[in-house]
Parts: sequence; C-alpha cells; structure tokens
Amino acid sequence: MKSLYKILFVILLSSSIQVNLFAQDEVSPERKQAIDSLALEKVKDLGKYISIIGNKDTEFSEANRVIERALELFADGSQMGVSSLSRPDVKYYGVREYFERLMALNYDRVTIQWFNIQYISDLERQPDGKYVGVITIYQRFQGESDDGLKYMDTTKKDITIYVERKETQIGGRIIGFWDVLLGDIRVTETTT
Amino acid sequence: MKRLTGVFLLLIGFVISSKGQQTIGTYLGDESALYAATKQVNQFFRRFNSEEDLKGNRIYKGSKHFRNPKTRRKYLKVLFDNETSQINADAKNGFIAQVTNGASPFFLDFHGGEWFAEVRTKFLYHGKEETAILFMELQEEKVGSKWVIKNVYFEPFVKLFEKEKENKEKFLHPLSHELAFMNLQRIFSDKSEVEEYTANDFRPDHLSLFLFEIKRSSLEFKSVTDLTFHFFQADNWYFELKEFNRSGYNTGWLIANLVKANEQEKDLLRKYIYFENR
Repeated sequence: MKSLYKILFVILLSSSIQVNLFAQDEVSPERKQAIDSLALEKVKDLGKYISIIGNKDTEFSEANRVIERALELFADGSQMGVSSLSRPDVKYYGVREYFERLMALNYDRVTIQWFNIQYISDLERQPDGKYVGVITIYQRFQGESDDGLKYMDTTKKDITIYVERKETQIGGRIIGFWDVLLGDIRVTETTT
Repeated sequence: MKRLTGVFLLLIGFVISSKGQQTIGTYLGDESALYAATKQVNQFFRRFNSEEDLKGNRIYKGSKHFRNPKTRRKYLKVLFDNETSQINADAKNGFIAQVTNGASPFFLDFHGGEWFAEVRTKFLYHGKEETAILFMELQEEKVGSKWVIKNVYFEPFVKLFEKEKENKEKFLHPLSHELAFMNLQRIFSDKSEVEEYTANDFRPDHLSLFLFEIKRSSLEFKSVTDLTFHFFQADNWYFELKEFNRSGYNTGWLIANLVKANEQEKDLLRKYIYFENR
C-alpha cells in the first residue's frame, strides 16, 4: 500500500515541478486522473480502518491506534452526516466521535462490502485556492454478534475531497505536490 | 415504443459499462441500478450535456464524443422522474427538442447563474422545532466560487409581521410632526401591532431577522431535511431537480417538474418559490 502511495506521489510530483499551479485555474485531465486515484486509495483505506475499528477482535489499544491513522486521512473539523430510510433527519458526528461510536458497537464480526462503482465529480476551486470534489461510493455494512444478532444496511457515501497544492524542500530545491485530504461525509441509507 | 427501446438500451449500456470499472475491495454483485442512478448533481450536469461516458468518465472538449447530440437525446430521456412526477410528455419532448436543437443547442452551465438551491432545514426556535427554508446561490469569487445564503423563508416571522389588510384605526395622524411625534410613545407600548405603523411597501427582511435570532441564540440549527434545485437557465423553460432515493433504474437526481415559461412567467415563478406572492 505504502509503495502505491509513493508511486502516486512521484507521479503527482514529477508532473508538476515546472509549472506554477497556484496560478492555474483548471486541473488537466491527466492530473485529475492521478488525483482521483490518490483520493480513491484514501477512501479504500478508510473502509479498511472502519472494518478494523468495528471488529470486536480488535484490541482496544489497536483500535485507538487505527482511529488515529484514520483521522490522518481527514481535514480538521470534518463531520459525518448520517440519515436512514426510517429517519431522514441528518445526524451529525465529528469524525472521531463517529469512529468511537463504531468501536463501541462491538460486533463480533464486521463486514464491509463495496459495490463495484464509484463516481467522482469534477474538481471545483474554492475561494481559498484549494480544489474540492466529491466521491460517491456504495457500501454494505454488516455487523454480526455470536448470539445471532445481525445488523445490515446499504449506504451511499458522498465523500468530500480537498485537493491542495503544497510545496516541500528536497535537497535545497522547492518542489510542489498535490495533497489530498478527505472532508465531510454524507451517509444516506439506500434501498439497494 | 421506439422511445422506450432507446431508454432500455441506455440502461443496458449502464449495466454493461460496470465491467470496465476499476476495483477497490470486496465487491457485491448486481450494481446495474447504481450505474443507472444519477448519483450527484454533478453527474446530472454531465449527463444533461453529454460530457461523460457510460462508465461515468469525464469526456473533455476536443473528444468527438464531447456533447454528442445523439447521446444527449438518449441521456435526457432518463433524466426525468418517470414514476411520480407526471411531467407532461409533450412538454418533455418539446424541452428535449429545444435543448438538443442542432443550430442552437442549450447546455447547463454550473457557473452560469440562473439556478439556485432550496434547502429545507429544521431549527429550534425558542425551544420549538420549526422549518426554515434557505435559498442558496453559487457566488463567483476572485478565486473559485462558493454557496451563499441569498434568502430565507421562516413561517414564525410571517405571522409576526402580518399586517391588517384594511387598517383604519392604527396610524400616526398627519399632524404628528407638530407635536414632535410624541404619539410614538403610544404605538411602541403595544408591541404586538407595531408593524401597522410601517409603510405600505414594508417587507420584513427575513434573512437579517434570521441571522439576528441565530446570533442571539434563539435559533439553533438541527438538520437539513430536503433539497430542491430550481433551474431557470434554459430559454423559455423552468425545471426542478430533486433526488429520488428508491429502488429501480429511475433514481438519483432527476427532473421533478418542467414548465414552459417566458421571462415574465419565470419572474412570477421565482417570486412564488421565494414565497413573495403566495
């Protein structure tokens, strides 16, 4: 996984060294594709972390460590807005609170399955210069206890991604790169 | 029948296209309905304009498939709510014919203005749950753009400022100025009817009141409950966009209402949506 990040990082880095992208309004199709891949990797990691956090077999200390890792994927102050078919009002949780509630659910087995589909929006520029996009994915969550109790839902997750142009100094040279962070996530239960 | 076949073929296209998607984990089976769904407003724009392929990949300017009129006609047919909204078939066909017209086609423009969001929300007002309708617009900035609150409709304010239609008793007489308006003391002592002493064209600015009540902590946000978009971009047409969360292939962000309207009628519609002429 780490090596994949490295490859993507280098692709993003090498494609952007000579251009002053702060002044650029449009993200080229090629760069957009690289950013999409990086964002999808982060979304996929988030799915893995959720499985680990929600599993009863995960030690408390390990779950907390994974929560910290998961939080690193997010921009500060990100929230989860959750609604269900029976309760259309949106309930808001800070991301940490959402993970801690998930940990407290204590299912014996947690399975997160993905539908083989994701939709990635265009990137739009915000007044602060960052780009914002939304990735839509569909997941089926299944929590099972040893006593046979089962909870299952299918949700549409609209995940905000923030894409920011950053600079770092390597060997005395200032090199630009694109950084992707996850933001607010809207979780809607679907009938699928 | 021919039309139905076209729609069916498009849906089949969505299903077949699912095989070409990249994979990212443990997968579930049939997702054809999810492919058919218009999953984001962004996707509605792209499908409306035919700026993406069946897999949802962006088609960029320069490609021969970009805004292809043939594909557009197919896409547009599945962008209507065909289950509950009962949009007149003639209107639908007329609209599709106009926006795909070879000589002067119409394309939706995200930054083109003439569209806004109606966001139904729930607030606690002095501890009681109330609905507030926020009207949001996309505002262009020096760099990028942002959504801003343009207006709000809040029923408790309407009741608070309701004026009598024929007020012949509550007024400041025309020579009040000669007494340095000493009679103001009388009107402000009865708080409940103070609006009766305002000009005929007085319209309370709900947004200012709303923000004031929030700052005073009298209003507390609870939740968003519903979202509708109103589009006035197309010449002589207005349509409404809503999300349909249900089973089947006709789901997601779809046109829920379509009205043929000239500029004057559009103004009336705007006022109606803003609750100004109800």
